[in-house]
Amino acid sequence: MSRIGVFICHCGTNISATVDVEKVGEAAAKLPNVVHVEINKYMCSDPSQDLVREVIKEHKLDRIVMGTCSPRMHELTWRKLLATTDVNPYMLEVANLREQCSWVHKDRQVATAKAIDLIKMAVAKVDKLSPLKTTQIPVTKRALVIGGGIAGMQVALDIADAGFPVTIVEKKSSLGGNMVMLDKTFPTLDCSACICTPKMSEVGNHPNITVKTLAEVEAMSGYVGNFEVTIREKAKYIDYNLCTGCGACETKCPSKVPNEFDQGMSERTSIYKLFAQAVPAKPVIDPVHCRKLTEGKCGVCAKICPTGAIRYDDEDRVTTETYGAVIFATGYELIDWKKIYGEYGGGAYPDVITGLQFERLVNASGPTEGHILRPSDGKEPKSVVIVKCVGSRDPHKGVSYCSRACCMYGAKHAHQYLDKVPDGNCYVFYMDVRTPGKNYDEFYRNAVHDGANYLRGRVSKIYEENGKLICLGEDTLSSRPVRVDADMVVLETAMVPSTGADEVAAMFGVGRDKDNWLVEAHAKLRPVETNTAGVYLAGVCQGPKDIPDTVCQAGAAAAKVIGLLNKPSLESNPQISRVNESLCQGDGACVNICPYGAISLVTKHFRENSQHVDRTVAQINPGLCQGCGACTVTCRSGAMDLLGYTNESIMREVDALCQW
Amino acid sequence: MTMAEVEQAVRTRAAELLESGEVATFLGWENGRFPHQTTPLVASTAAQAEKLVWNEYCVNTLAKYTRDLAYRGRVGIVVRGCDSRGIVRLINDKEISRDDVYLIGVGCPGMRDINDAPLKKCLECRHKNAVLFDEFIGEKVDEVTPDGRFAEVEAVEAMSQKERAAYFERVYSKCIRCYACRDVCPCCTCRECFVDARREDWVGKQNNLPENRFYGITRVMHIGDRCIECGECERVCPMDLPLMTMNRKVIRDMNDLFGEFESGMEIGETKEKLMTYETSDPEEFM
Repeated sequence: MSRIGVFICHCGTNISATVDVEKVGEAAAKLPNVVHVEINKYMCSDPSQDLVREVIKEHKLDRIVMGTCSPRMHELTWRKLLATTDVNPYMLEVANLREQCSWVHKDRQVATAKAIDLIKMAVAKVDKLSPLKTTQIPVTKRALVIGGGIAGMQVALDIADAGFPVTIVEKKSSLGGNMVMLDKTFPTLDCSACICTPKMSEVGNHPNITVKTLAEVEAMSGYVGNFEVTIREKAKYIDYNLCTGCGACETKCPSKVPNEFDQGMSERTSIYKLFAQAVPAKPVIDPVHCRKLTEGKCGVCAKICPTGAIRYDDEDRVTTETYGAVIFATGYELIDWKKIYGEYGGGAYPDVITGLQFERLVNASGPTEGHILRPSDGKEPKSVVIVKCVGSRDPHKGVSYCSRACCMYGAKHAHQYLDKVPDGNCYVFYMDVRTPGKNYDEFYRNAVHDGANYLRGRVSKIYEENGKLICLGEDTLSSRPVRVDADMVVLETAMVPSTGADEVAAMFGVGRDKDNWLVEAHAKLRPVETNTAGVYLAGVCQGPKDIPDTVCQAGAAAAKVIGLLNKPSLESNPQISRVNESLCQGDGACVNICPYGAISLVTKHFRENSQHVDRTVAQINPGLCQGCGACTVTCRSGAMDLLGYTNESIMREVDALCQW
Repeated sequence: MTMAEVEQAVRTRAAELLESGEVATFLGWENGRFPHQTTPLVASTAAQAEKLVWNEYCVNTLAKYTRDLAYRGRVGIVVRGCDSRGIVRLINDKEISRDDVYLIGVGCPGMRDINDAPLKKCLECRHKNAVLFDEFIGEKVDEVTPDGRFAEVEAVEAMSQKERAAYFERVYSKCIRCYACRDVCPCCTCRECFVDARREDWVGKQNNLPENRFYGITRVMHIGDRCIECGECERVCPMDLPLMTMNRKVIRDMNDLFGEFESGMEIGETKEKLMTYETSDPEEFM
């Protein structure tokens, strides 16, 4: 016979205003095996917790039901409380009387009846629970950062400064991400490269940081504290131990292709550094365009290289290492506006450019050395139209969300244009001007003061006429159609998640929202954690944000990781699956379904019906199992059971609800 | 080749295989007590193989017997479309291995019952030739894909809620819980069936409408994505329950949700929709 204690909380008036807790208590006292019911104003307060301890001792309780708020809120509190008593911390069931009852009902009678049902179910379930024991898991004191933009670099530096080794996996051939492509940053207008490149070289030179460029995460297994990650570093065709980064090869390479870093507005060679200040400051060969690698002819770079560092037979390097924590800093890319905005020419007009292209135009190390010149004919545009919310806040064509940085970005572009072309005219089409942030609104006001004409409305059409780009729109404040004959149009396009980030996130079991941004564990209270323990988020991969917010979040993620890596070991979750080997027929359905690769098939020896037999059965790796329960529903024999949520205990819950 | 010629060839091959020791047993059909009737035969010697028949009354699908015979050594078996898909099912469920069986494939013209009427399961058949075999005797027959695979399902779906409730009541109040459907099914291979479990779980052992209904629904869900549509459950049901209507409802829903899939067509990688997890699986509920 079990001895169940039921504890019911008023939660101030949160529960008791809608639920008659006294009546629930009376009903609970009549349930089988319930030996004591305790009702309290605030069960989670310190004096009440002492009371719970006393009651457990006095009535020799061996399991308890907490009729309180949600288990997400306080299950851990009760577990910790039970750990100080003789009751096993897993002999506990929380009946959620607040979030799932009092908060969602208005009728006191209905809510009270439902609360009684919830207590009945919890009592029935707790009666069938068995004690569980935790084990200690070691923590690998090393972190992996996916993405080498400003978020990834900041998080890596913070962790590395705390003394833990960090590996950065960067898809491109250099650190820097999107930030290093920008010219100036709002609201202080300091040069982006001037504040970003020192960070890059700090990361590159940090004794605790390993940078893997042209690299991608290929596979992952394991769990918090022990993620085994396979990383593929693509062939660079250059021996970085010999290369001094002198750049002689780049000067002689005969193959010229559009430069991605300058958004296709200049040319680079096939052996190239992404940009002058790239880290690592050594070139790579682009195997798609290199004549030696595609046609077998050329080989000029190998002849010119003074150290003999060129390796045409270089291969991808695949390594597998163990990390204690993983941080996603996969960032963003700009929405492909050409596909969805046919009315803006769909890319047919070279002088309709994106904000990032404008950044390169206005940048001193860009294709025009900082002179704002039209891509089509190299003339200075005397009239520029800036269109905001291209793709953003447009659920029919683009995305429904606000990309957050574009209002400030647009104001900055207006300011920069008017600064460099004092006799020019600048028109900004906007839906709203959103400038929440320190010194942000002042910055926007300055742009208006500089002479930017802000017009509230979307541009409906852009077409070419007599060498001018005709922008048709509406000024909704004066309710008049507007036509601007522009020399150049800048589209402030929406941020979308980086291609491929979702696949890597899925490997780690990190959720994605409808727009494919990675999902945090709790929007307010756990903004940098994910639902996979040991995996964290930094920067735009979680949702659009500007540089200050990105750096803040990176610091927060680093603090969480340092906290994790500082622990000597972690307590395992004992609520994992268990195989009933007598029922298991070894068909492996669970092996296929397990998202964590925690199940394998093994041949075991059994004595069954007085005979020795060898049978194949499923086996669970307790370190990998996260207790998701997918296997328990896939196993048609019912051989899989989730400890703490056993089939039997759930059955009793249903019985309690349906039969009494 | 005529059926009689195939029959002779099967007898010869079975005798050879048994003689040479390539197979320990050979599984086929022999004549039953009455005309128009056959019964499964397990031949262990070349002499016994002489009793094998192949005619229009070989109604039983034999795949599941291999599971019980494999311990004696390799099993030779005559397989049509349905038998071979049953074998594929058993191999994919790791009940037997490919090496446990030697498959003699044949094409099937469709079978008839004791009154010479064509069997319903054969009229609905989508794969008449063996899909997996070690050798094939005779010519392959033309495959015809019959119309109205889901016609019965649609008829039930078209009913009002009340009519449908009455329909299920009519069906399951007839069930006598003999478990013939389970015993004949090549997908039903649990070590302990949920209806036999000593500890009462979701379904009780009582023979009454609610428990019968639960039995039926649970069995359909357990078979779910693995049903090979051999129609044996419906054929053996002594109470003539429309069991394939239930199975096909699940098959169609699953096809609609996760894409077309036909179970028991090839051995190898698991492709069953409820037994695989892909990151691109629909998650509308999340």
